[in-house]
Amino acid sequence: MDSWVRFSSQSQAKERVLRAAQYACMLLGYTLHKSRVATDLIKTISELEAHMSLTRKLLRLGNSVEALQAAKRAIHLSDSVLRLCLTIGHLNRAMYFACDNVLWAGKTGIISKLDHQKWSQRSFRYYLFALILNVTRDVYELCLLLDNEDRYKSTKSPLSSSPSSAVPADHLSSSSSSTISVATAHMWVRLRKHIHQVGTVLYSNPPLLLDLLKNGCDIFIPLDKLGIYKTGPGFVGTCGVLSSVLSIVTMLHPWLKLKP
Amino acid sequence: MDAVVKFTSQSQGRDRIFRATQYACALSIYLLRNIPERKDLVAKLKNLESNISAGRKLLRLGNAANSIVAAKQTVQLSDRVLCLCLTVANINRALYFICDNILWARNVGLIRNLDKERWSINASRCYLFSLVMNLTRDLYVILQLMLQRGRDNRFKCKMNQQLSDCPEVAEVVIPELDALVFLLLETLRSEPTVALDTVKNICDLFIPFDRLGIYKSSSGVVGFCGLISSLIGILTLARPTLRIKP
Repeated sequence: MDSWVRFSSQSQAKERVLRAAQYACMLLGYTLHKSRVATDLIKTISELEAHMSLTRKLLRLGNSVEALQAAKRAIHLSDSVLRLCLTIGHLNRAMYFACDNVLWAGKTGIISKLDHQKWSQRSFRYYLFALILNVTRDVYELCLLLDNEDRYKSTKSPLSSSPSSAVPADHLSSSSSSTISVATAHMWVRLRKHIHQVGTVLYSNPPLLLDLLKNGCDIFIPLDKLGIYKTGPGFVGTCGVLSSVLSIVTMLHPWLKLKP
Repeated sequence: MDAVVKFTSQSQGRDRIFRATQYACALSIYLLRNIPERKDLVAKLKNLESNISAGRKLLRLGNAANSIVAAKQTVQLSDRVLCLCLTVANINRALYFICDNILWARNVGLIRNLDKERWSINASRCYLFSLVMNLTRDLYVILQLMLQRGRDNRFKCKMNQQLSDCPEVAEVVIPELDALVFLLLETLRSEPTVALDTVKNICDLFIPFDRLGIYKSSSGVVGFCGLISSLIGILTLARPTLRIKP
């Protein structure tokens, strides 16, 4: 109970738990709809989902300020790619929160005539762009780590040559089709080796792995809502639950959070 | 701006801001109720108030655990009166949160057959009892401080000077009463934490009093008292030195 009290004292923690619950409701509603269960249960669940969504919007009032502050901090980073990605990412998040606040005002009736569809699309566009920049940053960090790994391997064993370089000499005399198949086989081996290397790097770097997974799951939500890549409420709900659980884990264990 | 962000990053901080806004809306609705030109604004304020209230009910899910942990801590206090008052207050707050969570489940339709009125009255009763216990603790602390001050010689001289300074004031009929009031005011002035907590609890009392029908005041009074107690709550959260301990 002590750890729940400590965890729930952060307002972002409650928001994440609500997010997980909201997407779980979406997934549950889709599953019940597919299995054609009683419609009033589905109605209750969709009303609960809407209630949680509105409460999350209420809880997000004022998050633009926090995102702008994060952007101000990111401007001082030394690495130029990180600086660019993070600053613009935070600015887009700030715009997304601003649109979200306007949507809340519209839903509660403070602003009477609001085009909900337009503002909703706008907020999802900013959210998508922020996620794309986050994924770019993750890929950049991954490339840096792979580079480091390569450099480390080459300093450790500069004389070892790759085994595949000796093989083509044997096939110099064969026909062209077999040369193509040999080349394809080499490509597969190199690709497998590369994937294995990426896997090792990610496995030894859990913050990067978690962040990449989280952004990867999150990106399907605006893609579906904007109609760019429609997946359906079941898949969106699953992705939402996964990414919320991952961010709850990073909040419970701050060492798992990717810095900066 | 940093301080604001830090304040709002705590879930209690946001909840107190929402509570202040909710009661400010209630007060504004009461003040504007008879002005026909402001009917739209009143409708908007009513919507806002009910939305914030519903949102706060959802956000209160899980708060019972906070009160139980606080009760576990206060059980270990050395002073028996404080231990009793605070532990009973925390347990009652936990019961209030549980009733509130059940009411939320009823409101969203997760529980169907529930007597909303009865559970709402139960929740208000638990809340009232916890406020009464908190107020008892405040009075106990004030009495202790007053006794301490009364024995203090420097203070005795100050009091005698104060009494002799204004003999022409006709209200000084009962010098002992005047001395007591002076002692009380001096104690409250030197210990702002107790004064703030007492005012907050007294303001909060009007809310369950009105709900339970013990002392029916208007919704304007309830809104005003709720707003004052929320503002004091925000102040004590932003400035931890002003918060009463334990």
